[in-house]
Amino acid sequence: MKKILALVMALAMMLMLVACGPAGNQESQPPQSGGEQTNPPSQGGGEQTNPPSQGGADLSGTYDVTIWCPEAAVELTKTQVANFNSSNTLGITINATVEPVSEADAATNMITDVSAGGDLYFFAQDQLSRLIQAGALMKLGQGAADYVRTNNEAGSIQAVQSGSDLYGYPLTADNGYFMYYDKSVIPEEHVDSFEDIIADCEAANKQFSYELENAWYSAGVFFGVGCHSDWKTDDDGNFISIDDDFNSDKGLIAAKGIYKLVSSPIFVNSANADFASGSAVVVTGTWNYSTIKDQLGDNFGVADLPSFTVDGQSYHLGSYRGYKLLGVKPQSDAVKGAVLNQLAQYLTGKDCQLERFTNLGWGPSNKDAIADPDVQADPTLNALWAQNEYSVAQPNIHGSWWDIAKVITTDIKASDGSDEALKAALEKYHASLEAVFEMSDEVRNAFTVIGAVNGSSWDVDFEMTNDGDIWTSKDAFEMEAGTELKCRQGKSWDVSYGDPSTESGNYVVAEAGTYYVQLNAATGEITLVPAE
Amino acid sequence: MSKNENTLKRHMGLKAANRISNFFVYLLLIIISVVWLIPFIFIVLQSFRVESTYQVGYVIPQQWGFDNYLKLWNSDFKVWYLNTFIIALASAVLITVIQLCMSYTLSRFRFKMRGPLMRFMLILGMFPGMLTMIILYRVLSDLGLTQANAVPGLILVGVASSGMGYYVSKGFFDTIPKSLDEAARVDGATRFQVLYKIILPLAKPIVIYTILTAFMGPWGDYVFARYVAFGTSSGYNVAVGMYSWLTNDQIARMYTTFCAGGVIVAIPVTILFLCLQKYYVEGVTGGAVKG
Amino acid sequence: MKQYSDLEFLRLSKWQRFTYKIAAFFCGIPKAIASLFWTVVNLIKTGCKKVADEFMDIVTTFTKGDWKTKVSFVVMGFGNIARGQILRGLLFLAFEAVFIVYMFAGGGYWLSMLGTLGVQGPTQDYDPLLDAYTTHYHDNSFKILLYGVLTIFFIIAFIYTWRTNVKQNKLSEQILRSGKKLKSGKDDLRSLVDDQFHKTLLALPLTGILIFTVMPIVFMILVAFTNYDGAHNGYSNNLFTWVGLDNFNTLLSWQGGNGGGQSYSATFGEILTWTLIWAFLATFTNYFLGMFVAMMINKKGIKLKKLWRTILVLTVAIPQFISLLYVSKMFARNGLINLALMDLGWISQPLPFWEDATWARVSVIAINIWIGIPYLMLITTGILMNIPADLYESARIDGANGWQQYTKITLPYMLFITGPYLLTSFTGNMNNFNVIYLLTGGAPTNPAASGAAGSVGYTDLLITWLFKITTGAESQYYLASVVGIMVFVVVAVISLVVYNVLPSIKNEEDYQ
Repeated sequence: MKKILALVMALAMMLMLVACGPAGNQESQPPQSGGEQTNPPSQGGGEQTNPPSQGGADLSGTYDVTIWCPEAAVELTKTQVANFNSSNTLGITINATVEPVSEADAATNMITDVSAGGDLYFFAQDQLSRLIQAGALMKLGQGAADYVRTNNEAGSIQAVQSGSDLYGYPLTADNGYFMYYDKSVIPEEHVDSFEDIIADCEAANKQFSYELENAWYSAGVFFGVGCHSDWKTDDDGNFISIDDDFNSDKGLIAAKGIYKLVSSPIFVNSANADFASGSAVVVTGTWNYSTIKDQLGDNFGVADLPSFTVDGQSYHLGSYRGYKLLGVKPQSDAVKGAVLNQLAQYLTGKDCQLERFTNLGWGPSNKDAIADPDVQADPTLNALWAQNEYSVAQPNIHGSWWDIAKVITTDIKASDGSDEALKAALEKYHASLEAVFEMSDEVRNAFTVIGAVNGSSWDVDFEMTNDGDIWTSKDAFEMEAGTELKCRQGKSWDVSYGDPSTESGNYVVAEAGTYYVQLNAATGEITLVPAE
Repeated sequence: MSKNENTLKRHMGLKAANRISNFFVYLLLIIISVVWLIPFIFIVLQSFRVESTYQVGYVIPQQWGFDNYLKLWNSDFKVWYLNTFIIALASAVLITVIQLCMSYTLSRFRFKMRGPLMRFMLILGMFPGMLTMIILYRVLSDLGLTQANAVPGLILVGVASSGMGYYVSKGFFDTIPKSLDEAARVDGATRFQVLYKIILPLAKPIVIYTILTAFMGPWGDYVFARYVAFGTSSGYNVAVGMYSWLTNDQIARMYTTFCAGGVIVAIPVTILFLCLQKYYVEGVTGGAVKG
Repeated sequence: MKQYSDLEFLRLSKWQRFTYKIAAFFCGIPKAIASLFWTVVNLIKTGCKKVADEFMDIVTTFTKGDWKTKVSFVVMGFGNIARGQILRGLLFLAFEAVFIVYMFAGGGYWLSMLGTLGVQGPTQDYDPLLDAYTTHYHDNSFKILLYGVLTIFFIIAFIYTWRTNVKQNKLSEQILRSGKKLKSGKDDLRSLVDDQFHKTLLALPLTGILIFTVMPIVFMILVAFTNYDGAHNGYSNNLFTWVGLDNFNTLLSWQGGNGGGQSYSATFGEILTWTLIWAFLATFTNYFLGMFVAMMINKKGIKLKKLWRTILVLTVAIPQFISLLYVSKMFARNGLINLALMDLGWISQPLPFWEDATWARVSVIAINIWIGIPYLMLITTGILMNIPADLYESARIDGANGWQQYTKITLPYMLFITGPYLLTSFTGNMNNFNVIYLLTGGAPTNPAASGAAGSVGYTDLLITWLFKITTGAESQYYLASVVGIMVFVVVAVISLVVYNVLPSIKNEEDYQ
């Protein structure tokens, strides 16, 4: 038999091809054998008895739903789904599979294969834009969005927002950090002062765990001195721009604050429950509460972050305030989509959030749940809320920012602490940012010279630097008499200045020479400064 | 007389030197053994610790008990263990068959495509396997063999690509004299009979070696198994399931449970390995070096 | 460079021979490239001629063949059936039928979309009554690429089978004309366990390799020429498409671009350097220490040989994910070692096993020794015992001490036998994902390279970097593919150089 091998191989491959190939309709829709997306609505719900008619929103039926939640919450979520089944008045029965998937890994897992992902899933808010971009989050309809807006605290609403739309349901408002400390090392009266705490630790040869080499923690120091780092996203979850002033003079103060700790031998870059390994202070969040309580026993202390002093002025350490969210996977069956929204609203409602608080210690985002007296009495949540005053709600942040920003602390640590060195670290960070992202305000506010200058013909923007409202071109230009030019802002014609008295509206050079172009942005007046 | 004395002295000197050097060798071997054993002793001891679940600075538990093993019993660990066991068993059988077919053929037969085939596979082997993870996932997902059905999926991928690892057993077959085959062929045996009646009995060490390595492989498979079974606990193997216990958010609660799980996983594999050690050694020395 | 004759070469010292070989290799490169060029030209020439010959053969087979042969050109296997070879004929026919059905049922669709990888991404609409958005999925770039590639494989297989079918007709005619009998189906089946036994044995393994190794690699090489990433996953958000060589430009360009301000090429260079250092150290520390331990255990007068070996092979027996993960946590900042040392008062600060670049690099190499020595010990034990004892005996008579015996007898012998093993072990260590991933996960972070896809650490190897790119924030699959291709290039180049320099690469037939 000459070529039976070729035949057998080819046949085997072919069988596989046939098994996975399209099952008929070739025009525009290759079938998706992976998930339930392509099933027509009448099949999507499994044993659904009454397919919804065109006119009525009948949701009754049985639905297979996969829910991803952190391991600790699996049992509770199962109970809550059972409660939903028995309590809802719409005739919905959820047949839920609850899988333990950490909220930190949700995006990675969803992006692996959206069609095989959970229908509802818990995720940490910094993954929002990645998930939207991957097509893994269902946009909330008008009613659902209103529901979220009325019932949740303001920051949590911002956390599920991209552009003008909402993409998920807030689950918790406790994803922030504050300070746990060992009362036997840090006396009560010292907890407000960063310097005192560092001194106490050094004296007792104990460590200070503060994960400053992680931008989630280090950015807080900058927020504490009044810096900002804001991101803008469009409706599709794409990042438009960043507005960031960590390299300003205020940023320098923050850098000095960071230097105070990282230059000390007691600094430990960690946010774990480190008391067993010699730390006296740990900056971390509610998730470490039980371990730390266990480690410290009677010496357990918790407080908001302290203040540090630079040039006689005191600055409270700031922080990021984050949220855990519940996402709904996009569905091609509208009815199932609606059912999932109902279930998500139930799971993020007041009762379920309170249950999570009682059983897991998760701080609620629902306004009514926050008002609950038990919640109000919780010591760690109180520390968190005290810190909230100095915290910034975490916006949607581009994934690579974390990597860019964490270098700040590494560089500060490596520096000698001088103003120049610290400033250089911040400028380096800023340059990295600029290389990757469009800098909104910087670019938008800057003026440039454009015109028949330096051999260009209204096609090149020449940079200007400013001192207050006075902008001066970086280079001097050799110009003929009659050369026309203008100054414009943000390289667009929305704001531009010339000379209103001329026919064209452009500024016209009167006398040939080499000049710097100077603009008073307050008055719009252009003057030429002869170069030496 | 004096000459004799000298030789005697030298002899005694040698003996003494030998004794001294043996002493140092023993010392070194004991140190090495301690270093090698310590982690495993620690892991066993810590699996019996009851008083706390996170990492501490001592090894001997203050309070002994089976709490961690109980915790394992009440978790999905049973499912993961069974999954891994099934994968290991199926792999042991199927991979052995495939690899032996492959290596025997390439060692014994001379056919037109043999050279190009071996060179082609050598080149293929230079591509990092990690690269194909995404696409293999998709293929499995189209066959419905991911997540809850990850077990057959992992077996399929493991077995299908196992032909690439023929080197060791080919090296072994190369050491069996070809004259045996030829004699049998002259006596009128078919190729199949030669394999079945003459070669296989001689190849017992390499067969056992292949079975053993194929069986042990799945117990440590993490990356691809995680990718295939993502987000579905019932499809995990032990490595995927237990890995999450040592992540930052769980280690404080699950560290000692991990130790207990580690013990349960390691015991059968280790016992099997130690029993078959002889064959393993013959396999690696006979095959690995010359392949 | 000076060319040595064989005799001159043999007179050189070992080291001179070695350097001579390396120099000869590099001096030979231009010549090799030139000869490669001519080989390619000749290949194309002979290739064209072969195709022409094949074509002529097909035409003559058709014109000179009888009607059965002619029908076989359209209905595969007809000739076989008509001449009594039912089994062969039916297989041919079945193959053709399946091929035609497949091409109509979907193959044609996948093939037609391969140029664009899809045109219509997912769409959304809003149902005000249900207050829910619905997503409709359309083209799927990933599947188009996957099944497009498979369909091409399939078409090639079909052409090959069709050609075989034509050849067989010609052959059968000749055989019948010369008055001999054709093989029956029974003969065919019998030959599968005899003359053609190798085909039976290889059928299954090769099918598996084709589908689960070759096809994925072809696919991933193609991905390097697309923009397939997390933002273009080809299905649930944006489709992906062909971008030519853009990705290679990204990785190899020297301009800064990623967040750290460092270019991808610089990051790639750093990781590659560490990967090579690691592979070198990991291979040779294990090799020499493993040999040393084996010699100790083998030493005359040492008792309990079996016990020592058994203790050592525990690290081979116990699954690495347990031993490595456990050890990694043991050396962690708040792990057992640090806590114990602090409790004992020996240190006041935890030692930065995984936090400091140098510490981490040394630690991974040290722990790799722990994992690797036993394996080397097993291998070398066998070889050591095979060294003829009389070699040592005569050396001792000549007054050689232990060290001299080692360098003059043991080591050369070992290097000779294990040369190829060292090479595979080196390339294996370059791709040693487990040790790095389970121990450090690449940590500590390298700030200069941190903006590069999936934050890069000081202990990251190319293979773990590849993994980080795949699973990182941006899921840049295309970049992972490019890195994978680079890994291949590096491994291939090293193997090529070593194969040309190593003395002990022998003809495989020598073993038998």
